[in-house]
Amino acid sequence: MKRRKLLALTLAGCLVFPAAVSAEAEAVDITLWTYPVGNWVDAATVEGLIAGFHEAHPDIHVTVEYLDYTNGDDQVNTAIEGGQAPDIIFEGPERLVTNWGAKGLMADLSDLWTDEAKEAIYDSVEAACQNSDGVFYEYPLCMTAHTMAVNRDLFEAADALQYLDEETRTWTTENFVKAVQAVYDSGHETVGAVYCSGQGGDQGTRALVNNLYGGAFTNAEHTEYTLNSEENIRALELLAGMDGISFDASIAGGDEINLFCNGTLAMAFCWNVGQDAANAENTEFDILPMAFPSENGDPALCGGIWGFGVFDNGDETKIAAAKTFIDFMANDEAQAPESVKASTYWPVKDLGTNIYEDNDLMTEYSVFVPRMGDYYQVVPGWAEARTAWWNMLQQIGSGTDVKTAVEEFTATANAAAVQ
Amino acid sequence: MKTLNRSLCYKIFSTAIVVLLALAFAFPLYWIITGSFKTGRAINAAAPQWWPQEWVLDNYRTLFSRQKAPLWELHIPFTNLAVTGPSLPAALRWLTNTVFMAVTSMLLTCVTAAMAGYALAKKRFAGRTLLFSLIVCAMALPKQVILIPLLREMSALNLYNTIWAVILPIVGWPFGVFLIKQFAEGIPGEMMEAARIDGAGEWKTFLSVALPMIKPGIGALAIFTFISSWNDYFMQLIMLTSTGNLTISLGIAKLQSENSTDFGLIMAGASLAAIPIITVFLIFQKYFTKGITMGAVKG
Amino acid sequence: MKSNHPMSRALARRETIAGYAFLLPSLIFFLGFVIYPMALCIVTSFFDSTMKRADIFVGLGNYRELFQDRNFLYALKNTAVIVAVSVPFVCIFSLWVSSVIYNMREPFCSIFRCIFYLPVVTGSVAVTVVWKWMFNNYYGIFNYAGKRLGLLEKNINWLGDERFALGCIILILLTTSVGQPIVLYISALNNVDQSLVEAAEVDGATKFQCFWKIKWSQIMPTTLYILVITTINSFQCFALIQLLTSGGPNHSTDTIMYYIYHNAFKLYRYGYGNAMGVVLAVIIAVLSAVQFKMARSD
Repeated sequence: MKRRKLLALTLAGCLVFPAAVSAEAEAVDITLWTYPVGNWVDAATVEGLIAGFHEAHPDIHVTVEYLDYTNGDDQVNTAIEGGQAPDIIFEGPERLVTNWGAKGLMADLSDLWTDEAKEAIYDSVEAACQNSDGVFYEYPLCMTAHTMAVNRDLFEAADALQYLDEETRTWTTENFVKAVQAVYDSGHETVGAVYCSGQGGDQGTRALVNNLYGGAFTNAEHTEYTLNSEENIRALELLAGMDGISFDASIAGGDEINLFCNGTLAMAFCWNVGQDAANAENTEFDILPMAFPSENGDPALCGGIWGFGVFDNGDETKIAAAKTFIDFMANDEAQAPESVKASTYWPVKDLGTNIYEDNDLMTEYSVFVPRMGDYYQVVPGWAEARTAWWNMLQQIGSGTDVKTAVEEFTATANAAAVQ
Repeated sequence: MKTLNRSLCYKIFSTAIVVLLALAFAFPLYWIITGSFKTGRAINAAAPQWWPQEWVLDNYRTLFSRQKAPLWELHIPFTNLAVTGPSLPAALRWLTNTVFMAVTSMLLTCVTAAMAGYALAKKRFAGRTLLFSLIVCAMALPKQVILIPLLREMSALNLYNTIWAVILPIVGWPFGVFLIKQFAEGIPGEMMEAARIDGAGEWKTFLSVALPMIKPGIGALAIFTFISSWNDYFMQLIMLTSTGNLTISLGIAKLQSENSTDFGLIMAGASLAAIPIITVFLIFQKYFTKGITMGAVKG
Repeated sequence: MKSNHPMSRALARRETIAGYAFLLPSLIFFLGFVIYPMALCIVTSFFDSTMKRADIFVGLGNYRELFQDRNFLYALKNTAVIVAVSVPFVCIFSLWVSSVIYNMREPFCSIFRCIFYLPVVTGSVAVTVVWKWMFNNYYGIFNYAGKRLGLLEKNINWLGDERFALGCIILILLTTSVGQPIVLYISALNNVDQSLVEAAEVDGATKFQCFWKIKWSQIMPTTLYILVITTINSFQCFALIQLLTSGGPNHSTDTIMYYIYHNAFKLYRYGYGNAMGVVLAVIIAVLSAVQFKMARSD
């Protein structure tokens, strides 16, 4: 009887304390959570990159989890509250600096930002990776310009190619309206969708609205939201009234890309070179990447800057190990080009060689890089503002007056910004 | 004659409606299973294929070629050793986790509830009434409202992101105690008295007298706990994060948010989640029905 | 009398020890993982609590804000609509279906019962994702069938349209809610005392009268049970919302459960979320009490 009790007790212990045990491991175990940045979501690619690191640093062991843009934030937030935030996270300044950084959850990465690094990394990127006090919460790896794309075959059939400039990949607002109408009249009723079921890919809808009449999302100092400017309101009113453009509250950015690639939608607003690289093979039409339309034909594109941040989980050894990992991934001469290539975006500094030398696709998309506008996603209250953004689009889609919806958004977002 | 006709008419009419409704109820499951075998083109076609023209395994192939995870992981306490199973597609690990979670919750709930229900019904002790009213009150509350504090608690116990964070609250839920108590009320006092006179201790009395009497209740509770824990989602969503620890429900939800419009792949995942439990249900159908009704009558 | 006293006290002590010993395993779980977090929930609801910062006591501040929060009131309203529609519908629908199939020959009764129970066992997530596909704006089967049958002129964005989204959610909720009630009603109807029914029929009562006067009162306990579980289930509707609409479009499908989640894990407002949880708990407690009272008075 006694022996049986002992056995039962051991068994119970065996089942109850697995988590406590694994923490005692000798080698440093760190976790990396990545958002789907290019191919940094593909298990085979990422495992390959990490294998390189394990070879160079056998004393550090990295485990990866993959997040998505629909639920990834919730997942990270739950994990933070559960006391198991990842050690390293791979995303952009709007999350690393503005959100978790501002909440005091991230470790200062200033020691990775050596003078040498500051010299090498482009100034606009450097500016985005720190908070207003100059504390660095992100060490960047890659960047791109977010664009839109059109289904060239459909546009050709609708005789709408005349409205856009295939050389510079730009178009004016007036021509954009004509092109959408032409495609709509040709019998393709779903031309484009202002997706707004959630926050996934929201930079696309913002870029569209801001560019149409040259409005700005925030002020130049990044302290205040300025969506309620006349230009933005006009742009939203234009979109709300266009045939062929729907405010679709049942899809988010990722869905829009899929609908574009399977030919349902004639345009995608949530686009960049990474989407092209991932989808070109499976699409049955020519994808024509375009800048967002603007009144004068000179758009300001939204940039994406992706890099690593480290959660401060109170364990110096892990933070140090995480920094070693970041340094290796982003700065090692042999590894860095591979890490960047896996993202299918451009490096944030001159790597010495053109890593995309024979890559036609990258060459094609490089016309957009000089058109990159202000990186404004560092305004305080970003998490609240982006929730309010898609709620506002849903309101407009449900028939609320544009001005009312925009004013409400601006009030909510600015209230969060001053907190 | 006329009334007969009318009631016959009603009978035919109502049966026809019920048949139609039954078809509508079975349709989603049919759509899940056939959808999982359709090609991407058939899935995205504006005109759906009621019956797949071309049966392909692509969706399952994609599902299984995603991340890998060991089929099981068992940690040996006070060491760093762990027994891990073969590395297989993560979706299979999710099934193992779900089965483990549902079975363990079921066993623990039945054992603890049987003992507690018996004590509440048959033992007279101070605090009994108070405890019972606490149980009744707690039962009416939706357990989701306590999730935020529960999350902090699990984190403090170092159980966050382990399957135990999901199991323990299920076991704590007092419905089972309440149910078993209703069954145990029916144990005749004379039988217990007789056992005591025969020299049986408390434990022996429980095993030999009470247990056989509350067996039907335990059966009902087992089925109830198994289904509800298998189908629970909210608790799992909050408590589990890493790929190796997900349950099948969570896995499908994640699949859905990562590949939101690849319905073929999502249906393959949904089939994987639904078919095992439906099979169990069909095999034990009689017990299920009995368990559900018994739980209700006494509950 | 005097000598009897210590003995009964010993017996009482023995009973108490045994009682608590039997209760112990269950109590550990119950107190540890239900009562303790519940208490914590109530306490935190009086604090402004967020991550990485000590909680700040705000008294009734969270509650006061709650009833001025327009989105919370939306959520409250939507939850009320879901409950108000689904509870009576589930009861009537399952009672009617059961009344049709309960006296069918086997295996038909079992087959039907099985089919109506299928959505319950299929699991909420698997059911939800297939409905998401069926409701899809671009290649969902509803739009296709609707257009083929001439009911719709153009595609309706079911889940993306304020006017339909909540209705769609309720429809899905109904299909997963009637399984258990049907099983229960079939068994209850089979247990109705046939002699009473026959006696009434001899007395010339119509089928309808038979039903109301005799069967209804006999299946009343079942109905009550179904009312209570359906109410609780409808309040807890979460997976559907989280996977299908995230509360949108324009807050038209926000429920309290989802809004709690939204506040806690998107906006990091734990205290506020807990206050909502407490309010929800109070509402459900009151409703359950009313339902019990009503049943008692019957």
